[in-house]
Amino acid sequence: MKDSLKMVSITVALLVIVSLTVIIYESVSNTYAGHAPVKTSSTVGAGPAVYLRMGGATFPAPQYLAWIKEFMKEHPRIKMSYELLGSGAGVSRFLDGTLDIAGSDPPLPHSVWVKHEGKIMQVPTLVGAVVVTYNIPGLNGVTLNLSGRVLALIYKGVIKYWDDPRIQALNPGIKLPHHEIFVVFRADASGTQQVFTTFLHKAAPDVWPSTLVGKAPAFPVAGSGRAAGGKGNPGVANLIKSNSYSIGFVEWSYALENNLSVAALENAAGEFVKPTPRSLLDAARAAAVNLPKSPLGDFSSDENYIIYSSGKHAYPLVAWTHLIIRTHYGDPAKARAVATFLKWVAEKGESKTIPGYVPVPGTVKQLILKAAEEVLSNSGG
Amino acid sequence: MPLMGVPKRDRAFFLALLAPSALLVAFYILLCKLFTQYSLPAFRRYGLSFLVGTVWDPGRVVYGILPALAGTFVTSIIATLVALPVSLSMTVFLNEYCRAGVSRVVSSLMTVMGGLPSIVYGLWGATVLPNMLRRYVMIPLHKYLGFLPPFACSPVSGWTVFTAGVLLAVMITPYVFALINEAYVGIPLRYREALLAIGARPYLMAREFLRMIWPAVIGALLLGLGRAAGETIAVSLVVGNVNSMPYCIFLPGQTISSLIANNFPEASSYPLMLNALYAAGATLLAIGMCLNILGLTLMSRWRRCMG
Repeated sequence: MKDSLKMVSITVALLVIVSLTVIIYESVSNTYAGHAPVKTSSTVGAGPAVYLRMGGATFPAPQYLAWIKEFMKEHPRIKMSYELLGSGAGVSRFLDGTLDIAGSDPPLPHSVWVKHEGKIMQVPTLVGAVVVTYNIPGLNGVTLNLSGRVLALIYKGVIKYWDDPRIQALNPGIKLPHHEIFVVFRADASGTQQVFTTFLHKAAPDVWPSTLVGKAPAFPVAGSGRAAGGKGNPGVANLIKSNSYSIGFVEWSYALENNLSVAALENAAGEFVKPTPRSLLDAARAAAVNLPKSPLGDFSSDENYIIYSSGKHAYPLVAWTHLIIRTHYGDPAKARAVATFLKWVAEKGESKTIPGYVPVPGTVKQLILKAAEEVLSNSGG
Repeated sequence: MPLMGVPKRDRAFFLALLAPSALLVAFYILLCKLFTQYSLPAFRRYGLSFLVGTVWDPGRVVYGILPALAGTFVTSIIATLVALPVSLSMTVFLNEYCRAGVSRVVSSLMTVMGGLPSIVYGLWGATVLPNMLRRYVMIPLHKYLGFLPPFACSPVSGWTVFTAGVLLAVMITPYVFALINEAYVGIPLRYREALLAIGARPYLMAREFLRMIWPAVIGALLLGLGRAAGETIAVSLVVGNVNSMPYCIFLPGQTISSLIANNFPEASSYPLMLNALYAAGATLLAIGMCLNILGLTLMSRWRRCMG
């Protein structure tokens, strides 16, 4: 009796374990492997409301949220949300079908674009800037002049002191302290670092090779003991505020909000420029001519033209941020909602811009309208 | 029909217990499978150089976690060195020198605090510790003991491996204390009476009692460290997040948990990075298991000796 009970319990236990393993594994592999994009049309149902799920980059999030709020006031039957995920996570969730619209600071890499060519579109929606900020007791509030070359040398660990002749030469009227520079960068992979290191490479390719360009570059200064990484813009800003004689870079809107000292940077024309709506727009105008003519095109190199652009008064550390949309939405109601939103952004977005963000120039707005038309013509309704 | 003859209620009870237990086992099997499946590509590609490599460069698809491993060890050791004497002293002080009422109130208060999520202490530490430690501890240590290798480098900032270790100590001490105190209080009264009978003063009393509860102390430390290893956010706020070897404890560095926490969100945008992070997690898991087995073995051996 006892033995048979034991036998049965072992058999049943094995069966249960195996079947549970299979069930859980199936569900897990579906979520993680990312194949079989889920049809999202079911969310609409019979009701009149359409839900658009949007998410991705954190940099444009405050502006997107402000736009969505205004947009939903005018179009109460379209419900939208924007999830702060980071560019990379936003794109991967868009590609596996969980999001309807993705926000991404960098455009899709060439390899990804090729794979999805014709099925997705990208449009720049805003111009953003990265600013170099510092905390030097006695000089806070004073605008320092810095160049890409000097910054590259600082992040390489070659320039070690604030009163280095190479920094002093750019700032003749300012008495810089003989103090070690504490260098701050991002601890997490981020588009901000991509923009910053692209700028360093373009301004001083001999000092900053292309191998040091990326979202998570291995900064040579890291090994010096005079450096630290902060998580996100708040982490970097906190490290700069709490360490005297520090330098770092954050997104412009973040620096404005926190009243950080911001450096003027030498642009390609040799002028020292501070970030202003005008100097950002100058950069965008100079770069817009190099954008693809259609939202279906390959945007993968567009950041190269806007960073350290040829504009005479252009601020050099500038980048587009993009929205990524499908050309074809399974549900016509959803397609119409996406098109309505894009059209609204192109036509009314500029009037609802919040400080720290600069709307795209007219030629780029045309791209957004083209994308809206494309979505509408494919809606099949 | 092998279950025949067994009362119905018992059969139902048996099945009701079986399902959740099997679920737990299935969950662990899957966890192992998932970890192996995701980390294998990284181990296969880099082999041993994944563990002993010092370069972490997603751009060139090179991943080595030695600095993070070393950072994990160094911060854990610092946390232990700080947490152990503090909680031991507190235990002895409360039980041998304080009046019963006071000691009961304080120790129950501390036990409650020990049960709180350690991030509560972590956030406080992250805002206060770096600059405070730098001014009052790191600079003096470097000035007077700078000839010793661990203190040799000058603390340019407070965001260092040392600060992370102290922060971990802050986070685990209430918990470690609560566990040690519980063991100390739990010593049967007859031992105390026996020691009193031979005229023992608090020093002798504490010495004998600590000798008795030593395995519990080790167990408490291991549990505390296990807790600390999971604390990622607070550590990444103070450790400096720099991929360099902590030759000296006043250098910024990183731990495996902070490495994972910082890189996970954007990992999918780099080839093999997700696999590398899973492999780092698996390494941490393996080390944690070894430590736990070691701790449990020590304890059971001690119990056998006592028994």
